[in-house]
Amino acid sequence: MYRKTVSAPFVFNIKDRMRWVGLFILLAPLVIFVRLFYLQTFMHEEFSNKAERAIYNYLAEDRVRGKILDVNGKPLAESVRTHSCGISKRYVKDKDKVISFLSDTLDIPRKRIEEKWNRAKNFFFVAKKIKPDKYMELVDFLRTPAGQGIELTPEYERIHPYGESALDIIGASNSKNFGLSGIEQMFNQELSQDISKKRVKRARRGQIIYDRKLKEDVTVANIYLTIDEIVQYYAETALKKAVENVGAEQGIVLVQEPSTGKLLAAASYPVKDGQSLGFQFTYEPGSTFKTIGISAALDAGTVSITDSIAMEGRKWEVAKGVIVRDNQHDKDYLTIPEIMQLSSNIGAGKIAVELGAKNLFYYMKAYGFGSKTDINFNGESKGSVAPYTTWTKVDTASKGYGYGVAITPIQLIGAYSAIANGGILMQPHLIDRIEYTNGKVEKKAKPIKIRRVIREETSAIMKKVLQSVVENGSGKRARITGYNVAGKTGTAEKLSKEGGYGKRSHVVSFCGFAPVSNPQFTILPVFKEIASPLLALKGIEPDQLDF
Amino acid sequence: MRIFGLLVLICLFGFGVVWMRIEINRSGRTIGQLQNEVAIKEARNQYLELEISRLSSPENISRLAHEKLGLVQQEPHQVIILKDK
Repeated sequence: MYRKTVSAPFVFNIKDRMRWVGLFILLAPLVIFVRLFYLQTFMHEEFSNKAERAIYNYLAEDRVRGKILDVNGKPLAESVRTHSCGISKRYVKDKDKVISFLSDTLDIPRKRIEEKWNRAKNFFFVAKKIKPDKYMELVDFLRTPAGQGIELTPEYERIHPYGESALDIIGASNSKNFGLSGIEQMFNQELSQDISKKRVKRARRGQIIYDRKLKEDVTVANIYLTIDEIVQYYAETALKKAVENVGAEQGIVLVQEPSTGKLLAAASYPVKDGQSLGFQFTYEPGSTFKTIGISAALDAGTVSITDSIAMEGRKWEVAKGVIVRDNQHDKDYLTIPEIMQLSSNIGAGKIAVELGAKNLFYYMKAYGFGSKTDINFNGESKGSVAPYTTWTKVDTASKGYGYGVAITPIQLIGAYSAIANGGILMQPHLIDRIEYTNGKVEKKAKPIKIRRVIREETSAIMKKVLQSVVENGSGKRARITGYNVAGKTGTAEKLSKEGGYGKRSHVVSFCGFAPVSNPQFTILPVFKEIASPLLALKGIEPDQLDF
Repeated sequence: MRIFGLLVLICLFGFGVVWMRIEINRSGRTIGQLQNEVAIKEARNQYLELEISRLSSPENISRLAHEKLGLVQQEPHQVIILKDK
């Protein structure tokens, strides 16, 4: 029997339909899910890097370097916000328009920008240190569609409002705000913030989106020097004039307040960033050093102010074959003031020998020769004072009149200040105070007595002796009407490269202080031209009763 | 109906969050621009102050006093300080 089986007609019932539709609907999210899983798991790094680059920007810290100011708060070095302008070629839509605008606004020849454009792969700098006015013009252009591709980066420029004034002390810092020399380097940590990069969110055209985290405590400090800009100006002007008048290679001026040790001016000529000759230059002082040997002998009691020294016919044979001559006078005996007034090498040499090498060495060290000062300025020299055990009689005599010893100007002015200050050597200061932005003030220039070098009575005698040098001796040019001035001249022959002393090469100096009754300034070596305006400026009354 | 209402609420909340985020970013951008302008104005002000310092430098004042007013440096003994009584 044949039986035909008839299959039931294929009918989608509602349940099946819903199952299929459900499956279909689920399929799409499933595909998306799988794709997302793939992207987020296997491609995570690539996409997060892309997002990071698109959304965030890394800015160098806005590093406002602290100021360097004079004692009265006049800015000697200050950082000013500027910008650098660059072009990112790939974002530029209208090359001609961008180049024309930048060329006109920044006063840069169009050709130069085009050359840079052709050389660069993508990004290149067009200009640096753009001032605020130009920057505003650039920002306005940047906000237009044509401005795309221009990038402005903040940076700081170090400005010196008084030009080269005190630049040898201040030193230099580079465009990254790092101190390279002078005070800038010595106090780099106080003047600058830590270097780091800040992650900031940026908008479509690169503008920074403000975030509270961007605000931070600024911990930079302002450095106040003991330098007084007006005193510095007088010192620099007088030094320049003096150097040009005599056709010298270089010159140094230091002005110190003897009672506190504060340096009111420190000038070098020619001016080089961070190269202060007052600390770094070593030389044989010559006759200005006679003050040291003679004050030491008076203090030790090996000579008395009333003594007369025999001149040995103005040809003194210190040792066999070694003769010291005095050609500037024809006297057989000289008193101590006369030795200083006439700058007698025989007198100073004999007094040094009488004092003895050990004592002279002791006093030289006590005055601070052969040691660095506590200022510890970059590249400061300590000079050279050989141990007395190695000295011969000739060495002792020659040190008495300033040869065979190498000193720095800061050491010499310190020694004269000690005499002016009643025999007490004061610690020299270059930094008055450091003021932090959080209000903390660190006082640096407190008067610090290093030691008593000579007795007060010796100091008083030496002041009179040095005053007589200015009134009757070689220091007449330092006289100032109405004021008693004390000081000593010096002309030392410089060591020549061939050996021995060069007859045409000299170090000419004068070191002195005024007014003698109450010394306010010790000055090395251009005296009258600096002391005269300073006495007037500070309103210091004349100490001569009859003038 | 209750589920529909809940979905609407969630959507509204979502939109609110997104809108707030956009507003925060927009405000942040405005603040950023304003801060930049403040910084630029401060920098311009600083330049002007530095210009004042430069113009009032002893060198400049001495030169102007000499050239424009014919003044000369006085000797210290010619200066008499009047003291307050």
